[in-house]
Amino acid sequence: MNARHILTIARKELRGIRNERTIVLAILLQVFIAMFSSFLVVGLTTLYDPSSLGGLAGGYAVGYAGADSPLDGLLEEKGFSVHHMDLSDAVASLSERKLAAAVWVPDTPPDAAEPVKITLYTVKNDISASVTGTRIREALETYEGMLRDTRSDRLDVLPIEVAIPSGSGGQGFFIFIYGLLVPLLLFMPAIISASLIIDFITEEYSARTLETLLSTPLTFSEILWGKVFAAWVLVPVQAGAWLILLAINGITIANVVPVLLHVAVASLALILIGAIAALHYRERTSAQFIYSTALVAVLLVVLSVPGNPVNLVVLLAAGTAVPAGWTGLLVVGGGATLLALFTERYARRIARTTTP
Amino acid sequence: MTAVLLVALLLASGFAAQSGVHLQDGIYTAITDDQAVAAIIAENTVFSVTLADPRQIGGTDAYDLIVVGGEAHAGPTAKGRAALSAFATTYRHYTGAVYTGESDLFAAYPLWIDTVEVESRLDFDATESGEIISAVQRGDTVRPSGPVEEVPTPSATLAVTAEDLREDLAAAPADSGTVTRYLGMFSDGPDLGEFKTPSQLSPPLPFDSLIYVFVFIFPLYFTSQFAMMSVANERTDRRGEILLSTPAGPLTIICGKMLPYFLLMILISSAIVLVSGGSFVVLLPLVPVILFFLAAALLIGMTARSYRELSFLSIFFSTVMTSYLFFPSVFANVHVISLISPLTLIVLEFGGSGFSAADYLYATALFWLSTALILWLCTRNFNEERLFSQERLTSRLRSFIFSAMSRNHPFASLVAVNALSIPLVFMVQLMYLVLLFNLPLPWSLLLLILLAALTEEAAKSIGIIAVWRGIPGLFTWKNVVIAAAATGLGFLVGEKLLLFAMLSQVTGSVFGAVLFSGVGLLWMPFLLHSAGALIVGAALKVGGRGAYVPAILLAAAVHAAYNLILIGGAL
Repeated sequence: MNARHILTIARKELRGIRNERTIVLAILLQVFIAMFSSFLVVGLTTLYDPSSLGGLAGGYAVGYAGADSPLDGLLEEKGFSVHHMDLSDAVASLSERKLAAAVWVPDTPPDAAEPVKITLYTVKNDISASVTGTRIREALETYEGMLRDTRSDRLDVLPIEVAIPSGSGGQGFFIFIYGLLVPLLLFMPAIISASLIIDFITEEYSARTLETLLSTPLTFSEILWGKVFAAWVLVPVQAGAWLILLAINGITIANVVPVLLHVAVASLALILIGAIAALHYRERTSAQFIYSTALVAVLLVVLSVPGNPVNLVVLLAAGTAVPAGWTGLLVVGGGATLLALFTERYARRIARTTTP
Repeated sequence: MTAVLLVALLLASGFAAQSGVHLQDGIYTAITDDQAVAAIIAENTVFSVTLADPRQIGGTDAYDLIVVGGEAHAGPTAKGRAALSAFATTYRHYTGAVYTGESDLFAAYPLWIDTVEVESRLDFDATESGEIISAVQRGDTVRPSGPVEEVPTPSATLAVTAEDLREDLAAAPADSGTVTRYLGMFSDGPDLGEFKTPSQLSPPLPFDSLIYVFVFIFPLYFTSQFAMMSVANERTDRRGEILLSTPAGPLTIICGKMLPYFLLMILISSAIVLVSGGSFVVLLPLVPVILFFLAAALLIGMTARSYRELSFLSIFFSTVMTSYLFFPSVFANVHVISLISPLTLIVLEFGGSGFSAADYLYATALFWLSTALILWLCTRNFNEERLFSQERLTSRLRSFIFSAMSRNHPFASLVAVNALSIPLVFMVQLMYLVLLFNLPLPWSLLLLILLAALTEEAAKSIGIIAVWRGIPGLFTWKNVVIAAAATGLGFLVGEKLLLFAMLSQVTGSVFGAVLFSGVGLLWMPFLLHSAGALIVGAALKVGGRGAYVPAILLAAAVHAAYNLILIGGAL
C-alpha cells in the first residue's frame, strides 16, 4: 500500500466536493446552526431564567381573591405585587394582561381533614406565564410545606430533609446545550461523512469509472483507503468549526483536544461501517438504506452502554473530569481497528474476484 | 440482510429500552456525608456521587453539588447551579414518592391547585409593546378597563376521591430522566385532570416539543431520501428514457413515482400515531408536510449532478426544513408565531387543546402552495433534455425556471413567475421571523428589514436572469423597463393576494410591515418592487454577469432604505 496513492485519491474526492460548490451548502449549514444556537441562547435563556430580563425589577401583579392566607405574604416575597380584589375583576384584568395571574383561596382551615383547593387563573398562550409560573409555583410549594407542617402529626413517615436554596434555575438550559446540542453538532459531521463514503464508492460503480482507476498503478484497497481518508478528514474540520461557532455564541467547550480525538475515532468506525455497506451493495439506494438502519441500531446499542463515546464527549465538553476517558478512547479505537482490518480483507477479496 | 438488520434493530431498541439512554451520565459530580442522601442523589444518573465528609477532604470546589448536614450547596460554576437545580428535581421526586405512600393523602398533599386558563389576545402587538413588561403595574390599584363578566366562585372541595388522586400521583413519572419523561408524553401518562399539587405545576417547557419533530419528521426525511435517490438513479443509469418514451405524460410519471413513497410516509405516520395513542387528526397537518418533502425530493433528485451533491443538498434541505418546523413549535402554547409550523398543530393536538380550521389554513397554506409550485416546475422540466444534461446546479435551476416560461410571452411569464414565487419567498421570510423575533426589538427589526430586502430582490432577479440568459437579444433598454415593471407587478399581485388570504395576523403587526412592505398605497410597493428589478436588469445589461451580485446588493439596499424610512415613521 502506497501512502502517495492514497493521498492522490483523497485529493481527487475532496476536489470533487469543492468543484461542485456543495461545500458552500456545508458552510451555509454551519452559519445556519450558528443562528440556531444564538436563537437558543437568546430565546431559551429568556424562558428559563426570568431574572435575565431587566423588565422584571418592578414585579408582576397578581390578583388575590377569597379568604386571607399566608400565600399573600409568600407571593410578595417572590417579588409579586399582590392586589386584593373581587374575583370577577381579577379575571377581567387578567384577560387584559394587567395581571400575571390571579388566585382564589377558600377558607378551608389549615388543619382540616380535606385539602385546601386553590384556584389559579393564568393567561392562555402567554410567554409571561412561563416567566412567572416558576415563581408562583415556588410560593405555592412553600405554602404547601407550611400546611404539611401543620398536618405533620398525621403523617406515617417523614422524608429525609435536605434544605435546597431556592431560585435555582437554568438546569434545563445547561443540560440542553451540553447534553443534547453539543453531541448532536459534534457527531453530525461523522454521520454526514459516513454517508459521503457511500457516495464516493457507489459512484465509481454506477458511473463505471472503477475500471479506469484500476488500470492505473493504484490498487483497489489504495483507492478505498484514499476515499475513507477524504471522508474522515472532513470530520475534525467540521467538528472544530462547530466548536468555534459555539464559542462565538458564548458556549465554551472544555477539553477541546480530547473531545476532537473522541469524535475522530468514533467517526472512523462509522465511516468504515458505511464503506463496508457500500462495498457490499455497490449501489447507493441499498447501501444508504442498510447504513441508515445499521446506524440507528448501532447508535441505540452504543447509547445504552454507560460510558459510551457520546457520553464521554458530553462529560468532556461540560468540563467534568472523566477518569475512564482514555480507556473509552482505547476501546472505541480498538473497535475501529478491527473494522479497518475487516474492511481491508473484504477489499482484497473484492479486488481478487473483480480484477483480471 | 434487511431482515437480519430489522431483527438487530428490534433487539437494539429492546436493549436500549431496558438500559435507558446513557447520554448525560455522570455529568455532575456530587459529594455528601450522608449515606441516605447519597442514595437519593444516585437515583438520578446525571450525578456521580462521592460519599465522604467534605470537611476532611478539603477543597469542595471540584464538586458541582455539595450536600452536607442536610443542606445542599451549588458548586462555584454555572454547571454547579445546573447541578443544584437537577438535585432539586431529584429530591422532589424522592419526597413525592414518600408522600404518595402516606395513608392520609391530604396530610401529605394538603394543597391542590385547580388551574383555569383565561383567554387573552396575544399577537404581535404584545411583542411590540414589550409583552414581558405588560403585566407590571406602575400604580397601586389594578382595575379592568373593559367590561367585567361575572366569574362564579370556585368550589372549595375536590370533586375526586383521594384514592383516584393517589393513583394518578403514582402514575406520574418519578424519573427526571429524559427518555421516560418523553415517553410519558405519548403513553396515557398521568391524567391528573385539572387538579395538581404545586410541584406538578410546571410552566410549559419549550423543548418538550422537540420530541414531536424527531418522531414525526425523521421517518419522513428518510423516506424522501429514497424518493430522491429513485429519481437520481433513473438519471444516472438513464432508465428514465424508457419511461419518457411511453405515452404517459410527465405528470403521470411523477405522480406514479411519488405515490408509493407518499403511501409509505402516511403508513409510518399512522403507525406512530397508533403507538403513541394519539388521534388521527394529527395526520391532517402532516399531509402537506409530506407532500412538500416529496416535491423537494423530486426537485433535488432532478437537479443534483452527483451522489455527493445529492447528499449535501438533501442534508441542507432537511436541516433547514427541520428548523422551520421545529423552531416555531418550541413556542407552541406560548406565542402566536408558533402557528407558522404545521408541527405546532400536532403539538397542540397532543396537548389536548386541538386546533381550528383557521389555524390549519394559517399553518399549512404555504406548504400546499409551495408544493404545487415545485411540482408544476418539475413537471414542466421532466423531459429528456433537462433530465440528462450535466449543467451546474445554479444554471440548471435557471433553465428549469426558463422552461417554465413562455418564449413568446416573456413579460407575461415574468408576471406569473414572480406571482408564483411568493409562497416560497414567504416561507423564507417567516423563517427569518422565527429566528429573529425574540431578539431585542430594534435589532430584530433591522435584521429582518435587511434580510427580507435581500431575499425579495434575489427572488425577483431569478425571473429576469432566466429571461436574460434564455432570450439573449431581448433586453433593449425599453424591454428592461417593461421587464422590471412586469416583475414588480407579479410580485405585488402575488404578495397582496396571499397576504389578504391568510397572513393577517402577522401583517397587522410592525413585523408584517417590515417583511411584506405592507405600508403605503399600492403604487408605492409597486414602484419599489419594480425599482429593484430595474436595478438588476440594468446592471445585467451594462455589466453582464459580473454585475449581478453588486446589483442585488444595491437593490436590497434601496429596498431596505425604503422600508426603514416607512417603518421609522411607523415606529
